[in-house]
Amino acid sequence: MEFGPIWRASLRNKTGPILMALQIALTLAVIVNAVFIIKQRIDKITRPTGMDVDNIVTVQSFGFGEDFNLQESVPQDLAELEAIPGVLAVTSSQHVPLSGSGWGTELAGSSEDGAPRVNGAQYFVNADAVNAFGVKLESGRAFTAEDVEYPESFGVPISQVIMTRAYLDALFPEGGAQAGATVYDKLGNPVTVIGVLDTMHGAWVGWDELENVMLVPRVMPVESNYYIVRAEPGERDRVMPQVEQTLLATNDRRVVKSLRTHSEIRDSSYQGDRGMAVVLAVVVSLMVMVTGVGIVGLASFAVRQRIKQIGTRRAVGARRQDILRYFMVENWMITTAGVMLGSVLTIAVNYWMVASFELERLDPLYVPAGVLALWLLGLLGVAGPARKASAISPAIATRTV
Amino acid sequence: MLEMHHISKVYRTDTVETHALRDFSLRVEEGEFVAVTGPSGSGKTTFLNIAGMLEDFTSGTYRLDAEDVSDLGDDARSRIRNEKIGFIFQSFNLIPDLNVFDNVDVPLRYRGFTGAERRRRIEEAVELVGLTSRMRHLPSQLSGGQQQRVAIARALAGAPRFLLADEPTGNLDSEMADGVMALLEDINSAGTTIVMVTHDADLAGRAPRNVQVLDGWVQDTTQAIDSPVASQAPAELAVVGS
Repeated sequence: MEFGPIWRASLRNKTGPILMALQIALTLAVIVNAVFIIKQRIDKITRPTGMDVDNIVTVQSFGFGEDFNLQESVPQDLAELEAIPGVLAVTSSQHVPLSGSGWGTELAGSSEDGAPRVNGAQYFVNADAVNAFGVKLESGRAFTAEDVEYPESFGVPISQVIMTRAYLDALFPEGGAQAGATVYDKLGNPVTVIGVLDTMHGAWVGWDELENVMLVPRVMPVESNYYIVRAEPGERDRVMPQVEQTLLATNDRRVVKSLRTHSEIRDSSYQGDRGMAVVLAVVVSLMVMVTGVGIVGLASFAVRQRIKQIGTRRAVGARRQDILRYFMVENWMITTAGVMLGSVLTIAVNYWMVASFELERLDPLYVPAGVLALWLLGLLGVAGPARKASAISPAIATRTV
Repeated sequence: MLEMHHISKVYRTDTVETHALRDFSLRVEEGEFVAVTGPSGSGKTTFLNIAGMLEDFTSGTYRLDAEDVSDLGDDARSRIRNEKIGFIFQSFNLIPDLNVFDNVDVPLRYRGFTGAERRRRIEEAVELVGLTSRMRHLPSQLSGGQQQRVAIARALAGAPRFLLADEPTGNLDSEMADGVMALLEDINSAGTTIVMVTHDADLAGRAPRNVQVLDGWVQDTTQAIDSPVASQAPAELAVVGS
């Protein structure tokens, strides 16, 4: 290998190689951090919600008129909706998970003053809520019709809930809490956890405590609510229009609106994350393309500049593969200088982003992966010009070029 | 050492066919110093390219060092150029970004010698041409004559069987040209076969044997011994060494 002569020759024509190495360093820093962010966004978008999102239809009922009573309407609506062929389960809910709108509360794992309180999303639901959301009950039991309360005011303390494992563990960080545990509301009233859910997401997808969710068996004294209708697999789109028609036929003293699939709602909530991932992917693609073109350009320029030199090398005994290797090695050295500098820059950029934007620290494996990718890009970029160089005739050596 | 029999070289385009060499035959014995002369466009450079295996020929046979090299592949031709032929070019063809040491090292690297062996050969070759003190100089820091000496050192470092020189003094003033020519004569005296292409009659006159090429034909030789000379058919003008 001609590392020594190539290095010494590069030192005499520094500008092009230095600029190329800087571009490679910058590209590495940008693409590694961008790909890491893209991966985080994709992980966020695709994380399991715990719910049967793809088979759920949601719809809002908004009553009007003095004689409209939601608490009276709900049992009748549930019965009618459950009767639609293809419907698996239905529940009333004050809000829709993943929608960006909901109610939260604070609970504590102890009644002592000063006990730490933990935020969570709460959903006021009916007996069949576990089935309607399609969530998995890890332990304990689901609600029964007898559990569901119809309070006349907001101030009535709740007595029992089903909550996610994440919420229960957050309330009892020492671990080991199971169904049957008692938690305490803001006023110190005891609440029994009758069931524990494997996973369920709450309202706000950007919230750190998204998995802190509890279901409360209650229909609130309000005019508006949502229905969560879970269809059998493949039946959602057929069931969807019937949900609206059924509600309108059951009670005409209300507006039925916001008929949407749950997957639409989820996708809408993650639109920002998806947009960010797409924008970063475009940036990464452009940077890779520009760097690739730069490598091709520099290598092509080097070949054009050295036609006579290449002919001379061929004349004094270089085989085609020697010429090919020469340009490959030269490019590899420039790329290596770039990725070495780029590795430091990548980590520095990540530190800055962690400090400034509270992003996660970069997984260290991303740096060698980026280095490998840029080495490969360098080899691909130089392959064409190097192949052209290797095809230069040794007879060039005797010509005046 | 070098035997060409009925070599023809035709360059073809869609509409034009150019005969650069026609039925060209030449034999050079080991240890000879042959000057190949002729005016511009006569086919001298084509002869040099074919003799140096830098390009193919259209028909005929070529034996170099008792080996038929007419149909060798590209890698084999590179190997023979590297091991058996030393090239000296009119414009020196040194690599401008490499110093004297690295320039002389170029063919040796393709030979696969160890680092120590290469160093020994480079130092010997550079000493032979009297440039030891300039070992770390770049070509741009040397005079024309010195650059050509470096090129000669590069050609000699691999201990080739013969040297092919293409107008070796063409870019030098008379004093430098004289020095380079004297060096070539010394090298030849030490046993290395030299074939020198030149259009300079004075320079050719210093070579023990001259071959003249005109319009792709071997036209004359000053020291032909065994072959009929004059205006016979080219095939009959094959020159046998002196």
